[in-house]
Order: sequence, then structure tokens, then C-alpha cells
Amino acid sequence: MDNTFKIAGMRKSFGKSLLYTLPMFLITFMFMTGGRPNFSDLSSALALVSAFLLVNILYFFMHFTGKTDRYRAILFIIFALSLSYTLIHNMLEVRKSMSFSQADILECKIPFCHLVIPMMILPAVFTKSIIFPGSILGGFANISSMVVLWLVATVVLGRGFCSWGCFYGGWDDGFSRIRKKPVIRKVSELWKWMPFAVLLMVALTSAVALLPTYCSWICPFKAVTEFEQVASVESATKAGIFLSLFGGLVIALPVMTKKRSQCSFLCPMGAVNTLSNKITPFTLKIDKQACTECLKCVEVCPLYALSPEDIKAGKVSIFCSKCGKCVDACSKNAIHYGIKGIPAGTMKNFSRNLFLFVSFLFMAIFSAGAIISTLQGLLKLIF
Amino acid sequence: MTDSLILGLSSGSACLATCGMVMFPYLMAGSSGVKRIALDLTLFLLTRFLVYFILATLSWYFGQAFFSNPVVRNIVPGILYIVFAVMLIWYSISKNRNPDCPAKIVQTVNNHRLVPILLGIVNSLGFCPALFIILTKGATQSTLVQSYIAFLAFFIGSSIWFLPLPLAGKIRKKEVLKNIGILATGLAGIIFMIKGLTNLIGGIING
Amino acid sequence: MKKIKIIAGITWAFVGLILIIILFPGLNSFSFSVSKLPFMKLNPRYTGGEIANQIIAENCTLNIRKPVFNGFLRERNSGFVQLDWHGTIPEMINDSIDYDHDGKKDFCIFIDRKNSKTVLNPLSAKVKGVAISTPTSYGWAVRVGLLKE
Repeated sequence: MDNTFKIAGMRKSFGKSLLYTLPMFLITFMFMTGGRPNFSDLSSALALVSAFLLVNILYFFMHFTGKTDRYRAILFIIFALSLSYTLIHNMLEVRKSMSFSQADILECKIPFCHLVIPMMILPAVFTKSIIFPGSILGGFANISSMVVLWLVATVVLGRGFCSWGCFYGGWDDGFSRIRKKPVIRKVSELWKWMPFAVLLMVALTSAVALLPTYCSWICPFKAVTEFEQVASVESATKAGIFLSLFGGLVIALPVMTKKRSQCSFLCPMGAVNTLSNKITPFTLKIDKQACTECLKCVEVCPLYALSPEDIKAGKVSIFCSKCGKCVDACSKNAIHYGIKGIPAGTMKNFSRNLFLFVSFLFMAIFSAGAIISTLQGLLKLIF
Repeated sequence: MTDSLILGLSSGSACLATCGMVMFPYLMAGSSGVKRIALDLTLFLLTRFLVYFILATLSWYFGQAFFSNPVVRNIVPGILYIVFAVMLIWYSISKNRNPDCPAKIVQTVNNHRLVPILLGIVNSLGFCPALFIILTKGATQSTLVQSYIAFLAFFIGSSIWFLPLPLAGKIRKKEVLKNIGILATGLAGIIFMIKGLTNLIGGIING
Repeated sequence: MKKIKIIAGITWAFVGLILIIILFPGLNSFSFSVSKLPFMKLNPRYTGGEIANQIIAENCTLNIRKPVFNGFLRERNSGFVQLDWHGTIPEMINDSIDYDHDGKKDFCIFIDRKNSKTVLNPLSAKVKGVAISTPTSYGWAVRVGLLKE
């Protein structure tokens, strides 16, 4: 009966779901094809069509079933895997190796990623320069484009960027879903402040060294993208740290806790995005009249954004990444997507529909390139 | 300079937590309003500045006399960094974070005007590993001016933590800041451990 | 007041929607504008510094860049000078370099490109040693460590 209430609240009919999917259909078609679809090459055409259908089918099901998280996660995980495949494939094709050389650093050919941004700020203010061996404009993943993308996404989505935009988050999100039940249930509240401590230390050390120290020494995702050539004790130590952190925080801990451990306990970008949750228009709200304080939402939240105290107070913390897991888990539809200014418990459908359109559109377009490229590569391998 | 700044920032958090319980009431006692507290704090910081200026001068001359060996110049700071790192890590994982503070001695003084000055002297001469490191740093600089700069950076880094004290009563979410400070201190400990080991190993190899 | 909050919230949400919709088509132009900001230039520690002097031989050009001592708040005591060889570079490079234009040679550098061997002969006390010596897409690059004083 509870599920019927919930499904009746969020779920739409087949026709209505199609109607809601239509704008996504049109916009993604425009972006993916540039308005002029090119079907001359079979593998490109298949890849394009597959990616296009994937995103739109997932979006359709979000409306049709009333569930958010599982469909978001499918695209989110595929995005993470695709980006790693694309980067590694490109590295192997061009450089015959996953590692970048000193020449690549000297010629400033390193692709930029948003995780560098917190480390750039102090040096940018004091030295009026960017401390990264990349390209300011032009080329793959240039600094200006990535800054613009991240800035707009974080202003609009807040920490929602961590569940709808970050092309690394899909890794620990994926591993956190492997087990049915967690092995480790309780983790100290203190650890969720670790990303802020990491942010403080990497910002300071990057400013001192004029080097993005998080990227240089501790980013776990170096293990699945590209890293410095192992040619010395120092670079070997770094490689060891990357692999250990990836193994521990991205694979082992998420599997054992069913939480996104890397995002919760390390990522300094997560700390920055947490702060931007204060300005984003979208949020999650708790309808205290409907809430029975069963705490199912607290149990499923992958980022420790909810606690029994928060539920009692009827507030969701700033750690929320708007992934939708708690919304899907709530049998009373008490926790729901909301817009700031609109009281909790009201305009639930409107808020959800608007948020889903904005966030899914961003994720669909942002991920399209990597997914199409990966599918093309896989199709070329098969045929 | 930025090395010394980080050293000051790292030690300041633990120092404030340890001695804040003693210093804060004295900085607040008998005062009415933020202006009066800020004046006391200024006296406190000026005294610290003066003491560090003297220490910078003394340490440099001491270094010229006794720290000429380049191996010693690496090994001594290396060992001190490791000790300091252990202290920071222990502080961050320890359950009891309020050990005895040397500033407690000031509780015996009645004259309120003298208290910030005495607190400044006691706090800046508090024998913690960070002070020994900055003394060694001052001793190993090539010129006196560089020694002054190192101490100035250390003074700035450690003083930043005291600046919000006049507004401490008004700051919400103190618990959050405290948690971040504890974790950051532990991370700083790991960084200094690596730095210390690097200095030590480098000094041993070159020696 | 309640109504104003609702209208403001919904307006802000729709502004967000518009931002996301125009983000991707406008990305090139937004990026171009951002790239013009005063701090959007790479730190000399990564670019190698501005070119101070060029020595042009038959088919090969040697760029001697300005020494880089950039630090966070002030210049550091140690830095480097970068040398770039462009064009048709000989198998063996043997150059004497005056990087500070005081008329006196500061170091001699010998590079055996085939065996990736680089030998530096410092002629000044400010020259520390070779920091990096590597083939590049344009030829060869070397960074020589320097002391400021």
C-alpha cells in the first residue's frame, strides 16, 4: 500500500512519460549530432544511435517508474568506465603507454580535470598564474573549458555535481552496489569532515610547491587514467599510493560499507561542491508530516548526508549529492526533491521533474562524447 | 618562507587547542566588548612577535657557530620534523586533547594589563617540536635576514589561529571547525613525517 | 513573504535550467572569455619561461629562456633555465651557454641524443646541474638547475 502511494505520487503513465522525455530527446539529438547526423560510417552511426537511445530510455524510465537512483547510476557508471576507456585507449594509441612523459609535462599536454581546481585558487590569486601543465584553450580537456563546465554545473547542481557530473564518481558508486548488505555498518562521524581537511592541506601544499599536490601524490583515479612515468623512487612511490588508494577507497571500502568512500572521505572537490550546496536552487526536503522516522533513507545514503538527528529536525545536510537513493527508498514519499523557497511537502512532482531535466541533461551531454567514443572503439574491436 | 608558514599553521592549531582553555578566559576576563579583547590580543601577538625576533637573531648566530656541517643541517631538522610529525598525528588520533599548557602559570598573576604580555612570552617560548624546528631553520639560514623571514612566516602561520578568539563566542559550528582542525593536523603530521624522512635519509646518504 | 520566496526559488531554478541549456553550445565562447582573465596563463615553472635569446644555426634554433625562480609569495633561492632545440638537431649537441647575458659562459652542455646521455659542465657557481633532459615533439629540451645567489 505504501509503495502504491509512492508510485502513484512519482510515477507517470506511459504517454506522459514519453511526453516528458520529448524535450530530452530533441536536445540530446541536437547536441549529439550537431544538428546534422552523419551515418556514413557504420560503427560511428551505431555508436551514436546506441548512446542516444541509452540516455533517452533511462530518462524515460525515470519518469515511468518514478525511480531516480538506479537509472542515474547506470549512466553515471557507464560514463566513468567510458572515460577511462577513452583516455587509456588514446594514451596507448598515441604514446603506446598509460603514462605521460616529462616531455608531455614540458610541452603542457596534460589533460585537465576539475579535481585540480581547488588547488589552483591560491596560486592564481597570489601568482596570477595556473599551476598545471595543460592547455589554457584548445585541445582535449583544456583548462578554460573545464573551469566553465565545473563552475556552471556546481552553481546549478551544488554537490549534485558529484552524482550527476563527476566522471570518476561512477567508480565507487558502482562498487558500492555490489553487495546486498554492508559488512561495515558504522563509521565515525568525524571522517566525513576529512575531505575538508584534505582540501585545506592540498590547497596549502599546492600553493607552497606550486604543484597540484593532490594530482601529483594522492589521486586514486590515476590508476584508471594516466599517471607519471615510473622512472624514479619518487614516481614509483606515487604509483604505489595511487593504486593503494584506488584499491582501498574506491573498491574495498565501498564494497564493504555500500557507501561512496572515496567521495566521502578523501575528495577535496567534494568538499568544495558541498559548500556550493548553499547556493544551488535545488535541494532535498523532508515532509515531516509524512515522515515516520523509519531511517531507511539514512541507511541507504551513500555519502553520510543523512543522520537520525537530521531526520528528526526535518533537514538534509549540505553533504547531499541529490543522487535520489533516499527518495527511492522512502515508502512514504516523505523525502523528496525540492526547490529552495518552496515549503517541504509541496510541489514535489514539479521540483522533481525540473531537477531531473536539468541534472540528467547535463550528465547526458557531458558523458555523450566518452560513451560514443567507447562504443565506437568496442564496435571496431568486434567487427 | 612558505615552509615556515606551513609549520606555523600546523603547530598553531594544536597549540590553540592545548592552551586555548587557559588563554581564552584571560583574554576575555574583565573585558567588555570585542574592542577590548582585540586590544589584549594585539598585545599578546606583539609580545610573541618580539620574542620570535629575538629568537631569530639568537638562533642564526648559534647556527653560524655550531651548524656549519651540511650533514648536520639536514639530519637535525629531519629528526625534529619526525618528532613533530608524531606529535601532530598523536594529537589528531588521541582522545584526550587537552594536556597541560605552560600558560597555566599566568593564572597566578593579578595585574590584568600584564597578562597578555606574559601570555605572549610563555606561549612563544613553549617548548614544542615546532619551536625547535623553527629554531633549527633559523640557525641554518645563510643570512640573518632569511632567519627573520623564516620566523616571521612562522609567527604569521601560528598567529592566524588566535585571530578569531575575540569572536569565539559568536562563532557557530565550532565543533565542525574543531573536527576539520583535528583531521588537518593529522594530515600535516603525515606530510612532515615524509619531509623529515626525506631530510634524514638525504643527510645520512650525503654524510 | 512566503510567496516571494517561492517565486524567487522557482526563478533561480529556471535560471539554472537556462544555464545548463546554453552551457554546451556556448562553451567555446565562454571558455574564450575565461581564458582572457588575468590569471589564466600558465606558471613559468610549467612553460619554462619566456624566450630571452635565440641562437639560430643552419637548420636548428636554440631558444634560451629566462631563468625561472618563481615562488608563491616571493622568488625562490633555486630555480632553473630551460633550453629548447628546434628543427633539424644534430645527433650530438655541444653548446656553451650564457643564460644571464653577462658576457661570460655559465655552463657547457653536451647531449648524445642517440644514447640519451646529457653531460653538464658548470662554469659558474650558480649552476647546480641538469634537472630534465628529454626529447620533445619539436626537438629537445633541457632544464638546468640554478641558484639565485
